[in-house]
Amino acid sequence: MITAVLIGLVVLGGSAGDVCITKGMKQIGEISTLNLRVLLRTFGRAIANKYVLIGLFFMAVSYFSFLGALRLADLSLVLPATSISFVITTIAARLFLKETISAIRWAGIVLVCIGVALISLPSQP
Amino acid sequence: MKTAVVLITAIVAQALGDVCLTKGMKAIVALEAADAGSVAAVWHIALQAIQSPMVWIGTLLLIVFFVLFSAALSWADLSFVLPATAFGYVLNVAAGNYFLGESVSSRRWVGAAIITLGVLFVSRSGQSTVDRPGEQLPAPGVLE
Repeated sequence: MITAVLIGLVVLGGSAGDVCITKGMKQIGEISTLNLRVLLRTFGRAIANKYVLIGLFFMAVSYFSFLGALRLADLSLVLPATSISFVITTIAARLFLKETISAIRWAGIVLVCIGVALISLPSQP
Repeated sequence: MKTAVVLITAIVAQALGDVCLTKGMKAIVALEAADAGSVAAVWHIALQAIQSPMVWIGTLLLIVFFVLFSAALSWADLSFVLPATAFGYVLNVAAGNYFLGESVSSRRWVGAAIITLGVLFVSRSGQSTVDRPGEQLPAPGVLE
């Protein structure tokens, strides 16, 4: 039960983190320079952005839940279970970032999810 | 084009970072198995980890990955960038096999092939679907 809660936190924390960082980076605006001074200034603005900071916090929650889950369950359970985060993050991107997910993009994301689960399942069943 | 360069660099940095971290962490001498998980054992491992150049290089490469990933999110969709970086799993399987001599089961190669197909699909879907009002379109051919 605690394992399930922790895996849920890994997935939801990761998705929330990705969504917040995307929101923050979209506020920063498209990076389209190779000028080092401008890049450094953009970096400074990014790490001071409210959404980027909240996103980093969520990622830390996700990471420590992952470590916690690994203490209770095998990596071979935890890793495939977190592959669902590709689908959850996509739903969150649609809801909160108003991204349009075309049929071909959905198909690709579901394939990625299946592939990641296959790769991370234990080698010796 | 910009997106492709940034994401491919990010993915390669991530795969190399994971290889370096694995090499570094595997070189660490653990205490007795019976002590695994004790504060002393964790401390012992952490002390060795922060002295390992491989662990430092690996961590640095993962930071490079994260910065490039975030940079791509400043112009491309999350639902594009995230599945695109899943190609890193494929590189990880290949790199684990090549650099670390890990054996790779046929099921994992199938998984890698399915991810590759999925990333190809996603890459056909256009990188940005969100209107950014007030932003000027770049002149054609300048950056894309």
